[in-house]
Amino acid sequence: MSLLEVHRLTKSFGGLKAVADVDLWVDKGEIVGVIGPNGAGKTTLFSLISGYLTPDEGEISFKGLSLMGRTPHEICQLGLARTFQIVQPFPNLTTFENVLIGAFNRTRGVPEARLRASEILKSIGLFEKRGFLAKTLTISDRKRLEMARALATQPDLLLLDEVLAGLNPTEVEWMIQFIRKIREQGITILIIEHVLKAVMSLSDRIVVLHHGEKIADGSPEMVSRDKRVIEAYLGEVL
Amino acid sequence: MKYVPVLFGLAIFLILPVVVDSYFLTILISIFYYAYLSSCWNILGGYAGQLSLGHAAFFGIGAYTSSLLFMKWQITPWLGMWVGALLATVFALFMGSLSFRFGLRGFYFVLITWAFAELLRLITLSLDVLGGPTGIYISVHTSPWQFQFSGRGPYYYIILGLTIFILIISHKLEASKPGFYFKAIRENELAAEGSGVATARYKLLALALSAFLTALGGTFYAQYLKYIDPETTLGVSLSIEIMIRALVGGSGTPFGPLIGSFILTPLSELSRTYFTKGGLEGLPLIIYGAVLIFIVLFLPQGVATWMKEKIAGYKNR
Repeated sequence: MSLLEVHRLTKSFGGLKAVADVDLWVDKGEIVGVIGPNGAGKTTLFSLISGYLTPDEGEISFKGLSLMGRTPHEICQLGLARTFQIVQPFPNLTTFENVLIGAFNRTRGVPEARLRASEILKSIGLFEKRGFLAKTLTISDRKRLEMARALATQPDLLLLDEVLAGLNPTEVEWMIQFIRKIREQGITILIIEHVLKAVMSLSDRIVVLHHGEKIADGSPEMVSRDKRVIEAYLGEVL
Repeated sequence: MKYVPVLFGLAIFLILPVVVDSYFLTILISIFYYAYLSSCWNILGGYAGQLSLGHAAFFGIGAYTSSLLFMKWQITPWLGMWVGALLATVFALFMGSLSFRFGLRGFYFVLITWAFAELLRLITLSLDVLGGPTGIYISVHTSPWQFQFSGRGPYYYIILGLTIFILIISHKLEASKPGFYFKAIRENELAAEGSGVATARYKLLALALSAFLTALGGTFYAQYLKYIDPETTLGVSLSIEIMIRALVGGSGTPFGPLIGSFILTPLSELSRTYFTKGGLEGLPLIIYGAVLIFIVLFLPQGVATWMKEKIAGYKNR
């Protein structure tokens, strides 16, 4: 049994099939990358898994439990956290409070949650800015904050939606190292990424979506040689 | 050390009734009465960010329940107030689960709370068992056991006690898990859900707590004035008075509603007293309106937030 199993997942918006018949699994300890051209259905897939959207058809299970009909907070409490592509901070709360709210998820009591929030802020390099209101942070700091809040919920599986977008090369390099570090701590990662070079080097396995369908699934080398993938990315160098 | 100013202020307000005249005491009671109600509103509207324009409903349920129990079955309001508070909570949960189930937010939540309060007002207005348009006169049996006292002093201490009680609750809430969850819901409901916050449940919790405490204030009002009617206890103008003190003082801060009440209540009371001479009757409302406009324009986050920033700026210099 894999940690996350998605079976024949389908979601349409009007006449458009955003996600069509997708099968997907993530094993414990893996880093799995999800790539695909714009509009391939990557974010929709994440929203379905994390409970923000209800699938039309298909089945999702996590740790052997069905996620169907569960709300996002229940899914988060089960140990599946996500970040948002467009960062979603609590703007008028401090950096510390933002992370603290996540930390309440699987801790008992305020002191333990505060401790947990401090640890995460230190590891992600935001501890010095813990007193700043989230709305005053720079974009790259907000990306870190988004990640910190998700990590604070103590997930077993973390869905990362384009956490590298909008970062400069140094920041991208730092973030890649950080993602590797959290995997070493035992957190499994499913990551959507547009920065192909980064996701290729980071992932154990790559899943390629195109027009809502899964067109490839395998090691980065395998996927980058796949004819259908090259066609989908026509002109782009993998 | 940080409690010294609080204790000092408390001492002043405990001694005040001994030294001031009856008129001044009336104003002080009004200040704390609105501070209390507005602080109750603040739990839902300020912390959890669900703006209610229907708090008169909870207030009215409290006032009417304890008064009817007293007038019909001689049940002391000391008991009736808890029955009223429970009824108000049940009503709030009904209203809340309906509106949250259908995902009502922002202006739509404002409208639904207002509509529910109006519904109660109209029902009360048309039912003779509830006193109809004339309302209920509460017969005088001056006895502490019946929540009736001679003079204003005891009422002052009761409302002061209630205000201190709600300030302590707000203060505790600030540093607690529910308090942070309320703020998370206010700031970004989507992100709150994704951080493990059971948003629907916590919104109902804020609503229930707010309604329960507001209803207690309704009983206080009924026993203090010994007369209630649909317009003053269930009307939208009461809901506005409750809400506006938190907005002016600083909603979502523990002391905001209290500060707001200290600014607005004396203003409305004093101007009402001093501008009753011919041709000036409308002036109090104009002054009141002007102050409101000033605060909304220049201190949109409320006076408490502004003061906090000023103090922080002074300390950092």
